[in-house]
Amino acid sequence: MAEGGEAEWELCKENIQPLKKGRAISALQEALSQQQDGSSSTTNQHKQAFESELRVYEGDDPLDVWNRYVAWTEQTFPQGGKESNLAVLLERAVARFTEDKKYHNDRRYVDIWIKFAQSGSEPLDMYRYMRAQGIGVQQASFYIAWSEEYENQGNVRAADNVFQESFKREAEPREKLLQFHKALQARVARRVMSGMFEDKDEEEAEQPERASLVDLKHRGKKKAVVPINRVGAALSSHSQSLNLHVPQASAGRGQNSRIVVFEELKAASAEPSEPKLESWKAPPPSKSKENELRPEKWSNVKMPMKSRFGHTVVAPQSKPNFLPFVEEVDQPPTMTPCKINPAVNSVLSARKPCMEETPLKRLQQQERPSQSEGKVQEQSMYCKELLLSGAVEFCFEELRAERYRQKMSAKSQGGVEEEPAGLGLPD
Amino acid sequence: MSLFGTSAGFGAGGFGAATTDTHNPMKDVEVTSPPDDSISCLAFSPPAMPGNFLIGGSWANDVRCWEVQDNGQTVPKAQQMHTGPVLDVCWSEDGSKVFTASCDKTAKMWDLNSNQAIQIAQHDAPIRTVHWIKAPNYNCIMTGSWDKTLKFWDTRSPNPMMSLQLPERCYCADVVYPMAVIASAERGLIVYQLENQPSEFRRIDSPLKHQHRCIAIFKDKQNKPAGFALGSIEGRVAIHYINPPNPAKDNFTFKCHRSNGTNTATPQDIYAVNAISFHPVHGTLATVGSDGRFSFWDKDARTKLKTSEQLDQPITACSFNNNGNIFAYASSYDWSKGHEYYNPQKKNYIFLRNATEELKPRNKK
Repeated sequence: MAEGGEAEWELCKENIQPLKKGRAISALQEALSQQQDGSSSTTNQHKQAFESELRVYEGDDPLDVWNRYVAWTEQTFPQGGKESNLAVLLERAVARFTEDKKYHNDRRYVDIWIKFAQSGSEPLDMYRYMRAQGIGVQQASFYIAWSEEYENQGNVRAADNVFQESFKREAEPREKLLQFHKALQARVARRVMSGMFEDKDEEEAEQPERASLVDLKHRGKKKAVVPINRVGAALSSHSQSLNLHVPQASAGRGQNSRIVVFEELKAASAEPSEPKLESWKAPPPSKSKENELRPEKWSNVKMPMKSRFGHTVVAPQSKPNFLPFVEEVDQPPTMTPCKINPAVNSVLSARKPCMEETPLKRLQQQERPSQSEGKVQEQSMYCKELLLSGAVEFCFEELRAERYRQKMSAKSQGGVEEEPAGLGLPD
Repeated sequence: MSLFGTSAGFGAGGFGAATTDTHNPMKDVEVTSPPDDSISCLAFSPPAMPGNFLIGGSWANDVRCWEVQDNGQTVPKAQQMHTGPVLDVCWSEDGSKVFTASCDKTAKMWDLNSNQAIQIAQHDAPIRTVHWIKAPNYNCIMTGSWDKTLKFWDTRSPNPMMSLQLPERCYCADVVYPMAVIASAERGLIVYQLENQPSEFRRIDSPLKHQHRCIAIFKDKQNKPAGFALGSIEGRVAIHYINPPNPAKDNFTFKCHRSNGTNTATPQDIYAVNAISFHPVHGTLATVGSDGRFSFWDKDARTKLKTSEQLDQPITACSFNNNGNIFAYASSYDWSKGHEYYNPQKKNYIFLRNATEELKPRNKK
């Protein structure tokens, strides 16, 4: 591995979103170095090539193009974010094939759905919708992702139920389901066991020993303790790797989760033991994501304005009448280089309030064609589907230029009769 | 019409029914030796040049030059080739050079006197627009490309003088010194000011809801650029002033290139606006659309002056000559319905029409 590559990765690894299947280090280095140079022309060309391919593809597996496009986008934009257009791309990919039954249990399509669900704010709603539509119900990955979400929210009973259903439905591959189910059961058992030892530990603790990575103990009269809320991937990996302080740490967690679970058990028992197939007309509207909130008044507290006879000091302090000591520094403090190309204005672009239009609502609108309100019906006399079928729009000239380019490359191959296959881009 | 050799002639002659040939319903002058494929752009010579010369770029990779004589006759003069379809053409202000932009990612400068063309610009993706800028302290070429950059070139140097990043792919542009405006994909709209050196002036929220397709700057009574007309892919044009006294009232949009407007029984067909041109003298404008019609409008009186009969093909480009006497428009397939509707055998036309009377502004009541 080149040293330059290592430095690049080290400088911004907090910003790099982890991928379930890991990142190809070569792609990661290339993406990071390109962002540093500010040159995104190769990226643009690749993206345009994918967009073109989406539109001229005439084979019988269009999902393949979308799948490669999603994979490339994930690898090329390690930080995620708006520039990658990944959220839009996932949404379009998902919407494109909802009607296409043949893809409903295709491993690739299901994985795209799972990514889409995880990028939203209510994955559970998405998973329920998928089940109602029959998407992914034969795929192990669907149930694994779903039960993981339940487990992250502390509902281990529901997580287990998901696995039970997967066995009933005979989802494949079965070995994988068994393996993940076993792991879930092990985690649950460990928590229950550590829960049994928790009280004994607290009584025996005499010397106030400093222990790391455990719950904060309460001081004084107040019994409130700051809870540790481990979420997501940290939960499963944490309990597996740290074996020394796990009992106490997860005891705290278990303490909290036991409360939560307890309520859930009450609620869960109210549900029928066999989850019935809810009839979903449309995917549920997901709650607004945090950056789609409209600006509102922050609070209703008003700062009282004091008269000049008041005693509150509101004005900022006057300058001190001594010279603050400035330490001589040998080297300037090392700064991580600014990754934002000043020419690119899209980083903090103003977002118009979206009027509650969320991805799930859009899917819903797609299913039910919008009714016109009695005004003159309009009909666009151009190939709308072709222009809009990718993640970004195309114009007539781009479509035509792509056809021309394909024709030329076919000619240069000596006139061999060939289907316009993939454009040879890395998966 | 000969019955041999042309299958169309055979059919029409043999079966009695007089087929109305709708390729030229306005009975305008046909330019001789039109290009063999769709015409993407048209440009007339500037006032500095005596006479009228018309340049047309096409998807057959060629750029052609015709002389338009006063009696309406057109004489093919010269031709240049690119290695990819030509998307835009423009003249230098003295009429000695023609600049051409192509899908082959280059722009060329064509010296008409020597009939030599050299490459003067390079991008990473097809170049969609090319414009000549004549400023008091510099001259250059501005190229907008699908690689999301706007570059400025001194024709003597292989490297750009300046390169500006666009938010999205450049779809159309126009320049009237000291103003330039770019419309991009995803409804982007940016105005640049060109004094001293080009710099971004303002980003504008698009007044249109659909894809941007064509744009043209208009001037005020003092002959300074005052705003632009922006056409979309769904039969609508927006008139937008840069610094109007009353934006809400002064800026407006109007529908165009739609079929059977008042008949609510059948859905209204909406067509793309392919090009917009302003009359150099009257300030009225012409729009041409995918529906195969052209229309003339008076934006100050907010009224339509004329709409043509329907041609049997979309109209893809248009241009006024330097004194506004001639209106040229091109009839060819614009790819609005994808490749399935493309007929390589179908002929392409450029028509010339007398524009002295029909574009006079409507007097305000």
